[in-house]
Amino acid sequence: MLHIHQTTCISPQRTFPHPDLEELHESVNSRLSVIEPDYTGIPQNALRRMARSTRIGVGAAFPLLRRPEAGSSYSSVTSPPSIDGIIIGTANAGMEESIQFMKQIIDHEEGMLAPGVFVQSTPNTIAAQISLLSRNRGYNTTHVHRGLAFENALLDAAMLVRENPRHNYLLGGVDEIGAFNYNIDYLDGWYKKEALSSKRLYEDNSAGSIAGEGAALFLVNDRPENALARVRALATLHSKDPAAVRDQLRHFIDTRLQAGEKIDLFLSGENGDNRLLPFFLSCEDILDRDIPIARFKHMCGEYPTASAFAVWLACHLLQSQSIPPHIIKRMPGSTDPGNRGDKNTVACRNILIYNSHKGAQHSFIWITGTHALTTRPDR
Amino acid sequence: METAPLKEHLKKQIIAFLNLTSVKPEDIKDDQPLFGEGEGLGLDSIDSLELIVLLNREFGIVIQDPKEGRKVLVNINTMVDYIEKHRTK
Repeated sequence: MLHIHQTTCISPQRTFPHPDLEELHESVNSRLSVIEPDYTGIPQNALRRMARSTRIGVGAAFPLLRRPEAGSSYSSVTSPPSIDGIIIGTANAGMEESIQFMKQIIDHEEGMLAPGVFVQSTPNTIAAQISLLSRNRGYNTTHVHRGLAFENALLDAAMLVRENPRHNYLLGGVDEIGAFNYNIDYLDGWYKKEALSSKRLYEDNSAGSIAGEGAALFLVNDRPENALARVRALATLHSKDPAAVRDQLRHFIDTRLQAGEKIDLFLSGENGDNRLLPFFLSCEDILDRDIPIARFKHMCGEYPTASAFAVWLACHLLQSQSIPPHIIKRMPGSTDPGNRGDKNTVACRNILIYNSHKGAQHSFIWITGTHALTTRPDR
Repeated sequence: METAPLKEHLKKQIIAFLNLTSVKPEDIKDDQPLFGEGEGLGLDSIDSLELIVLLNREFGIVIQDPKEGRKVLVNINTMVDYIEKHRTK
């Protein structure tokens, strides 16, 4: 589909600018909020008007628009890229500004309204701000398909890459924990009723997950030379039936993997919500027992474009050639279901990501790298 | 009339309204240009619209003539002078 040449990620973990996933940062008040950088290089006048989703989206995009730092482990390009298009997936960007603007209308009886929140009150604010700050006049689109927003952005980028060889595209998935969307989802039962540390996310047998947020950006094109990773296939599905999702996964594996190829790591979007667990378990059931399983929602929390974090994590795992012990759910060759692979190693090129948003929107993304991946002993 | 309390209040309003998180009221000089880099506070055209809204909401002042706005939104002193003469609340 396309090749990934550079990635950045602003998340609740130490992922920006230099990833360090050994130490797990846990949730505060049942929220995994991003660790914001100092946004060096972004004009202060623009920065102070931005909501958090816009800040982290623009902040993560900025390094991809400039020459990568020497020795950076997550970039392969050696010259400043020319960006031919900006494609962002987001479910809720601009929501906070929309609410503020509507509140102004009520508070001030439709009188004189401040323009700042209005001009940034739509989801395409992130892509627009990246474009304005980088003076990019190319293709500029935002996909807002809730839990499949990033997947649709990825599909858009893949089609553009196919149609336009040698063009570079900036692809991203961004969402924030906003007061409005957090409260709505909390009242709707999508977050834990009782405070829970993200370190215990998978141990708690109750409904709901932990709120999360993040921005993962990718420089993509059709060139395999020096690519960090390749997105081989993408499939999306709307269903509330775990059996239908399992069948889709089986079809995905049967039709996309070629003879001799196998999944080396299954990256699961399991999120601690016991209502969604049947989706993940039914998918794991059809995998060969020698396929390791890892999870990522204890790192980024639950949010509509968390699959972008998963793609970033897959790229990072393939580049760093190591798996942090805290993400491992199952390792091959173990008879103990709780074995987290303290001493195991595994060679890995193919990572299959399965993510589910609210048990209704599902996606499978297959990422291939060029390096062998091994786990390190737990410290 | 003592203008110091009004100047202090206006500076706090500007900081809050424009989200100038790294600026304190004492950082803004009464005669410091609001717009432009260097010696100025660095505000821009979107900020000028926000300041017009601020004057309307806080002091009941309506500025409709852009030329008038350019004379008012120069620095804290010019804004306070105009507020004292035209405020309705």
